[in-house]
Amino acid sequence: MNIFQLVLKQMRQRALSTWLTLLSVMLGVALAVVIMLIRRESAVLFGQTDYGFDIIVGAKASSLQLVMNTVYHIDRSPGNIPYSVYKQLTESPQFRPAVRMAVPTAVGDSYQGQRIVGTIPQLFGMEDDGITPIPANRTMQYRPGKRYEIAQGRVFHGQKFEAVIGADITKLTGLKLGDIFKATHGLPKPGETPDIHGEEWTVVGVLKETGTAADRVLYISLPSFYAMSGHDYAMKAQAAIRQGIDTSRANAPGPTTAYDVRPDGTIELHLPESDWALSAVLVKSRSPFFASQMMYVMNNGQQAAAVNPASVMREFFNTFLQPTTRAWGAVAYLVNAVAIVAILVSIYNSVAARIREIAILRALGATRRRVMLTICLEAGLIGLAGGVLGIAAGHLLGALVSGYFQQTIGEGIRWWIVSREEWLYLLSVTVVSMLAGLVPAMKAYRTPVADNLAGV
Amino acid sequence: MAVTLDSVFKQYVAPDGSAVPVIHIPKFALLPGEHVALIGTSGSGKTTLLHLIAGILVPDRGRIVFSGTRDDARGSGSAVVPYSTPPGLGREVDISQLSEARRDVFRGQNIGYIFQTHHLLGGFTALENVQLGMSFTGRRVDVGWATHLLTAVGLADRMHYKPGKLSVGQQQRVAVARALANRPLLVLADEPTGALDPANAQQVLDLIRTLCTEVGASLLLVTHDMTIANQLPRQVMLGELNQPQVK
Repeated sequence: MNIFQLVLKQMRQRALSTWLTLLSVMLGVALAVVIMLIRRESAVLFGQTDYGFDIIVGAKASSLQLVMNTVYHIDRSPGNIPYSVYKQLTESPQFRPAVRMAVPTAVGDSYQGQRIVGTIPQLFGMEDDGITPIPANRTMQYRPGKRYEIAQGRVFHGQKFEAVIGADITKLTGLKLGDIFKATHGLPKPGETPDIHGEEWTVVGVLKETGTAADRVLYISLPSFYAMSGHDYAMKAQAAIRQGIDTSRANAPGPTTAYDVRPDGTIELHLPESDWALSAVLVKSRSPFFASQMMYVMNNGQQAAAVNPASVMREFFNTFLQPTTRAWGAVAYLVNAVAIVAILVSIYNSVAARIREIAILRALGATRRRVMLTICLEAGLIGLAGGVLGIAAGHLLGALVSGYFQQTIGEGIRWWIVSREEWLYLLSVTVVSMLAGLVPAMKAYRTPVADNLAGV
Repeated sequence: MAVTLDSVFKQYVAPDGSAVPVIHIPKFALLPGEHVALIGTSGSGKTTLLHLIAGILVPDRGRIVFSGTRDDARGSGSAVVPYSTPPGLGREVDISQLSEARRDVFRGQNIGYIFQTHHLLGGFTALENVQLGMSFTGRRVDVGWATHLLTAVGLADRMHYKPGKLSVGQQQRVAVARALANRPLLVLADEPTGALDPANAQQVLDLIRTLCTEVGASLLLVTHDMTIANQLPRQVMLGELNQPQVK
């Protein structure tokens, strides 16, 4: 019987106490690991700087809200900007040379809780007809080097009631290629009666999975977005506000429809382009210099704000997420300290209860050092086993967190990756546990054999 | 292996700080392979004496010398491992001069100890309890020998039972097997039959003597039961041997 077998036997003999101590270590380690995991992955997720575009132009409001709304499709839209901003970016001599690519987006409607985004086929690398490809260097990327690709069907026509859905939409809503759907105004809360628009869209394409929030979005053409009943009135009202006109007198909803459908299925909007509004414009500049210049000009103007999503997210990470995870990290280390003390107390009590047993082992020829080693080994094994189980539990919790992120922002975390930091942490938990075992081990070391054999 | 006690003196400190002499043995010798009954009343220092010989305690003065080899102890022709002398020591070992760690190793390798109550480890089977002592010697655990011992004490069918599932008599027989596990040169038995009924006591005594003879071990058996003591070839009255008041 070697020393490990002896230790394992003794641990099994006190199974309940061993398991409870192990459980306390496991919980402490799991908490620390899940915090490490979230800290590491949130840095990847929110601290990323690798967007396929370098500027988001939107309403003058919270930069974070603009990025969250445009990139992660969470939070409310901070407001609208006139369509003319997009035209300026793509056509004016002031901005045109600086812009490699600009894609407008409009949000405000949903289908079964999933966001609908009005945009142009160029986002997916196609001309307005949805069929003719545009040069790769003029195609918007969602990550550097990564473009949206169609898994089934094709890209929607830029002027028709057609839609392309994200990779997760079929799973989330049941919509598939060829299906027809109607949009719901806004995002109704549970139990709220949905305000369903009368227009119908046909799903003409399904995107390949991107691993981003785009997988949970239904993309429709911009004119079809403006064609939705009520949108014309809202946009007219917004345009009037911008022009300083009394909206109560100027723009009552008229009896006529906001659009006609031509024989070829394309939409003829009645709403003048001057009244069109956008939620944001994604811009890929020709260089970082142009980008900063453009942001400067835009931010000093009246109409819109321009932000760099990477900077906004880095700032968010540095000012909010990092301190929060640091605070949680401190809590985790405290929990670990409690767990280590639990090991100490548990083994100390077990040594106190086994003092005669230790005396017997000594009488059989076990040296003091061996008895000490046995106790430290027991403590170390509890630390190691608790640590390993804690890492496993931490990663399972990480999987749950990932699922939550997936649901809310459309992107999960790499919960399965065990980092070097975690292995070092496991090592330190084991070593500290062994050191905690030293206290009871010293008690055993000092056990006077003869006194404890008396009356045996 | 012979054991010689020479002017061994041991005293304890009482709670009031005064010194209480317990052992003072001017001379005592146990010859190789000899079986001796040490007879004494309660509180006469029997257990202290055994602890001194086993190296669990060290005397305040005097020498406790072990001499000889297994061959010496058994006579020629026995196919056994030579007596294991701790490194740096000669053929004679004064256990009281060894460090505590060396005493532990020496005890594990050369001395078998049987307590009045078995004191087996509850979480271990009978076989594991016997093997446990072997694991402290630094030698390979001899499962065959452990099995032989348990068979010899009549527990061939109880080897994998934990002590809680055995009767008191059976538990003490496991303790006997455990004491013999390392083929000791000396077996110290501290009232091994004290907690047993006469029939079981006789069985256990016979087993101890048989197995000691088998391994060629000397036996020093402490008892206050003259029926037991008289069955051994030599009886020593501790009261005559021990003169604690005479320094």
